[in-house]
This record gives sequence, structure tokens and C-alpha cells, in this order.
Amino acid sequence: MGVADSLGAVVKAFPQARLVAFADLSSRMILSSSGPLSATQEYLDRLCDQARASFDDPLFSLSVEAFGEPHSAVVMVPDAVRVFLRSDTEPADALCCICDHGIDLPAFVTKLRDTLEGITHGG
Amino acid sequence: MNKGTLPIVARLQSLQTAARFAPGRARIVADDTAPNPLADLLRAVNETMMGRSLQFDSPGGPSLALDVSGRRVLRVTSAIGLPGAETCLGVEVLEDEHKDDLIKLLQGIAAPRHELRLTSGPIGRGGEVVSVGLPVALLADLLLIDLNLPDIAEPEPEDAPPAPAPTEAVFAPMTGASLAGGNGLADFAGTIGPELVAWLVSGGEDDGRASGPDEMVSHLQGFLDDEREALDRQLDILSAAPDEPIAMMLGATLVEGHSILCVRLGGGILLGVIEGDGTRATLSAWRNLIA
Repeated sequence: MGVADSLGAVVKAFPQARLVAFADLSSRMILSSSGPLSATQEYLDRLCDQARASFDDPLFSLSVEAFGEPHSAVVMVPDAVRVFLRSDTEPADALCCICDHGIDLPAFVTKLRDTLEGITHGG
Repeated sequence: MNKGTLPIVARLQSLQTAARFAPGRARIVADDTAPNPLADLLRAVNETMMGRSLQFDSPGGPSLALDVSGRRVLRVTSAIGLPGAETCLGVEVLEDEHKDDLIKLLQGIAAPRHELRLTSGPIGRGGEVVSVGLPVALLADLLLIDLNLPDIAEPEPEDAPPAPAPTEAVFAPMTGASLAGGNGLADFAGTIGPELVAWLVSGGEDDGRASGPDEMVSHLQGFLDDEREALDRQLDILSAAPDEPIAMMLGATLVEGHSILCVRLGGGILLGVIEGDGTRATLSAWRNLIA
């Protein structure tokens, strides 16, 4: 399954997901996205920057010191929930997602993790 | 990158984007016209937060491999064609006394008018990651290099796009005062339940409220005392506006183990530790807060 198909499968399984995007954090680029949200390039760029910021100091250092390196972040704001996952093996590979508040977050995060590792390993 | 992403990369290259790649999974971080390849090298290191081995190669020239984590250079694991490398190569963890020697190696690998390639891989020597080493920011300061690119130096203030379509994405701010619920951070913590094993509020109407084991609360307090300003900056990047309520969870998986919870609301910040899967309870509490 290709990247676009993998992202599309997540959106299909979770209708509350407005946008699911695959990003290369090292080059600050959204490489592929899927979902009903119509996002401008500026919006995608900012989403990618937010993913990078989520895995940045000072919270990154706090997490590393206390529990080890974080690979997952959820950001809740009044109008949406954003989920950012980094690959365990290829830290530049990440999924950036925007969802409604009604999403089944544990199931969504688990699905995203499987999807990301599948993409990273070329599955 | 892997074979699944190669078609996308090929398309980006065809579109002449800034991302450039070389054979062997290498990324070109500076070409032979780059004005300051040393700055490009340091920026690449500075972008590496998780433990990785970064190998820099100049085609047909020297090679330098570094173990990097958390914006720090931990150690030099390989140096080919770079004189004077032995003082750094035998060191398990680089310290302040090694910075001048390391800078010479960096200057040697990032020579002007030479292409510089980067290959990233699993961290080297024994996989050990430590939280010391030489900060990239220190090296940049010594070399008078600004690590921020002009277009990403500071988060942009929120744009005001003209009347977007209903499905168009916008980062619309909502202030704490505009929340219908009006509950405070301590109430929010109480709503989450037992998954939130320790928490502390700094600032706002619940300033000083805390719960959990003393040593954990004390650690959270120390962090907030030292990092409050930096934490506000981090949350500002993630928010549509500085006074927009925001909650963030950060952890290995978020559904097992421990995670960090950080919430900013009404001038106060809650910092806490979640044990196990706190995603459902935290999102439920968030929905109540903004209802």
C-alpha cells in the first residue's frame, strides 16, 4: 500500500479525522495528505512546524529526563485535536493529524502508530 | 526515506523543491555554492532531537560521524581525512574542553565551495544516549552562526484570511475568557481522574494548587521555575493566540507508560504526569472545559 493509500485508510477508519498528513520533519515538508479538510500550503507548513515544536524543548527535555524519548504528542485546542507521531526508527518521518474532539483517541493513536511504521518500512 | 516515499521525493525533486538527495540515502545539506556550509551543518545537527548518528561527507573528501541527541553533540565516532581528530575520537562524551577541537573538525568537513552530504542512522557506540555533550547553540555562538533561518526565526502572528470556505483550514484563536465552561486548571485536573498521578499549577487563579507524591510535584515545580518562559514560547507556537487555551500530552506512546501533560489556561499553567493511557480521560476533560 502506498503512502497516500495508507493515509486514506486512516481517514476512512476515523471519520473524525479531518486531515492526516505524512511529513519529513527534517526538511519541514508535508509529503502527502488525506482528509476532507481543505488546507492551504501555508497551513500545512505551519502544521509541520507545530509538529517540530511539539518535539522540542523544554517539554522534550523534561520527557527525556523523566521517561525517555517521546515519539507521540497530542495538542488540544478549542477547535480541534492535533496528533503528531514520529517514527521510532526514522525520526524525520512523522504523521501530523487534525481531528474533531469526538475522536476515539487511544484507537486513533494506535492506528496511526501502525500506519507510520508501515510507511517508514515501506509496507 | 524508504521505497514507499521515493515516488513522493521524486515528484518533489521534479518540482525543484529545496529538498535534494544523493545516492545512498544521503541528503545534500549544502551544495558547492552554499555561502556557509558550516551553518548548514550546525542547523542539521540542531534539528536532531532524538538520538541519531549523523555522518557528514564531502564527496571525494573527508568524512565525520557524530552521535547527536537533544541538540547536543555527544561524541565523535568516526573521522576520516580530518587531522587532529584523535583528541575527540577517544572521548565517550564530549565536554567543554573539547569544543575547540570539535570546531576544527566541523570546519574541516564543512569547507566552503564543497558539497556536504548527510546520512542519518541509528546512534552509534552502544546505543547509549546521555543528556550531556556539547550544545549546538554553544558551538554556533562560538562560530557566530545564527541557527535560525530567516523564514522560521519566530512564529508568525495569526493571519486574518478573508472569509474562508466552511471546510477551509484556519487556526482560529479562542481566548480563555470566551470559554463557556469557565472551569479552572485545578478542576480540569480533577476531571481527568487517577491517570493524572501528579500535577501542579503555576500562575492564574489556581496558582500553587498541586497533588501527587512530593518528589514528583517538587520536580515539576523546579522545571516550571526554570523553564516557564521557554514553555510559554513553545506553547505559543502551538496556539493560534497567546491566550488561547491549550493542552498538550507528550510521551513515548501516550497509551502506555508515562506521559507529560501541560495545560495553559487563563494565565496559569498546569504541568502533570500521566500514568498509563490518559488520552481518553484528558480529551474528555478537555471537552468539558470547552463545552
